[in-house]
Amino acid sequence: MRVSILDYGAGNMHSLAKAIDDGSSSVRLETDPMAALDSDVIVLPGVGAFGHAARRLAPARTALRDAIRGGLPCVGICLGMQLLFDESEEGAGKGLGVIEGRVTRLRANRLPHIGWTTIDDPSDAAFRRAPLDVAYYANSFACRPSRPGVVRAWSVHEDDRFPAMVREGNAVGVQFHPEKSSRAGVAFLGELIRGAGT
Amino acid sequence: MLTRLIVCLDVREGRVVKGVRFEGLRDVGDPVELAARYEAEGADEIVFLDISASAEARTTLLETVRRAAEAVFIPLTVGGGVRTVDDIACVLRSGADKVSINTAAVARPELLSEGAERFGSQCVVASIDAKREQAAWRVWTHGGSVRTEIDAIEWARECVARGAGEILLTSIDRDGARSGFDLALTRAVSDAVPVPVIASGGAGSAAHVRDAVVDGRADAVLVAGILHDGVTTVRAIKAEMVHARIPVRAVA
Repeated sequence: MRVSILDYGAGNMHSLAKAIDDGSSSVRLETDPMAALDSDVIVLPGVGAFGHAARRLAPARTALRDAIRGGLPCVGICLGMQLLFDESEEGAGKGLGVIEGRVTRLRANRLPHIGWTTIDDPSDAAFRRAPLDVAYYANSFACRPSRPGVVRAWSVHEDDRFPAMVREGNAVGVQFHPEKSSRAGVAFLGELIRGAGT
Repeated sequence: MLTRLIVCLDVREGRVVKGVRFEGLRDVGDPVELAARYEAEGADEIVFLDISASAEARTTLLETVRRAAEAVFIPLTVGGGVRTVDDIACVLRSGADKVSINTAAVARPELLSEGAERFGSQCVVASIDAKREQAAWRVWTHGGSVRTEIDAIEWARECVARGAGEILLTSIDRDGARSGFDLALTRAVSDAVPVPVIASGGAGSAAHVRDAVVDGRADAVLVAGILHDGVTTVRAIKAEMVHARIPVRAVA
């Protein structure tokens, strides 16, 4: 399986590539979104800020959205999950608009939400195949889908309950960092990638 | 959110070393092997603190970070010698998730904002070394060797205003003394800022770690020497925290 990780030019992509690379897939970092379309799974990683990433994706936005809607499997992590939505309070620019909804700041006194938080009410099959009870987060914003049916797991920071995972068609997003959630997280990520590509 | 137990490794020319106040350094082991072992024992994060002196050692450090990112799948923070936004980029690109910035932030606080704007607040950790002076705490730089006029609580607030997403707070008075964390300092900073605070300096037992959370209101606790010396273990500290009803990630 050929996996492309979109590199928006901000932050650690190395450990994500290593976490995905289990020997059975070929993983490449791709700075050109159009070139990334030529793969079996596209991964939107979770580093940087919304505005910056949205600018980097802008020239390829329509092509990416059409490809994902048309069947190209996509896994978004943290910021990458947020980029699947329409827009964000964090910064200007458009998300891919693959999943309907907005991204807003977490309602909490202490932000960013950095650390390990439990995964509540998991309903996605991926959690049965690769159990993950607790995951590492580093976010100040969260996705608010228009249709609650897309949410496949939740987490809570202070009083704000937000989606930990969404799935719509072949687009999957997780707000946490599976690649930083130890062995169980890496196994879960492998499940998402394999599940997305088949 | 669960309370984090973070393990710090002092790294010098590609090896983990240990010594009181950087004197009488002795070799403890390979950074990647040790980080992997602490992950397996249930550590929630790893910090590599680069205490190398030379510029050549920087290449060695980045290579160590790269190897660690391939073998360790919990968050990795790198501190020491980060002076410019390009340094931050280098460390992150090598595979670190966060950078901790200390002396360079005091010298030029804009560095915190530049890092936060480009990479996000969640990867900018402001590291503050504080030493008690009468009723207040003063910021020290250069590994705790140079005194400044800056008040530690005020500085913590400014770091957050400039974009730091976490505060790594070390009590110089307690560092290496194993007499417990400076709880008043930890509490004062934790109450002053709206970001997570990591307590550091003074861990001598699992009970001290518990106190830093319960009385110091720390969101995370950093330990080093007591683990490397076998005084206690990640598992024992977490058991103590569970006993005190502090929510932690279970050790597998």
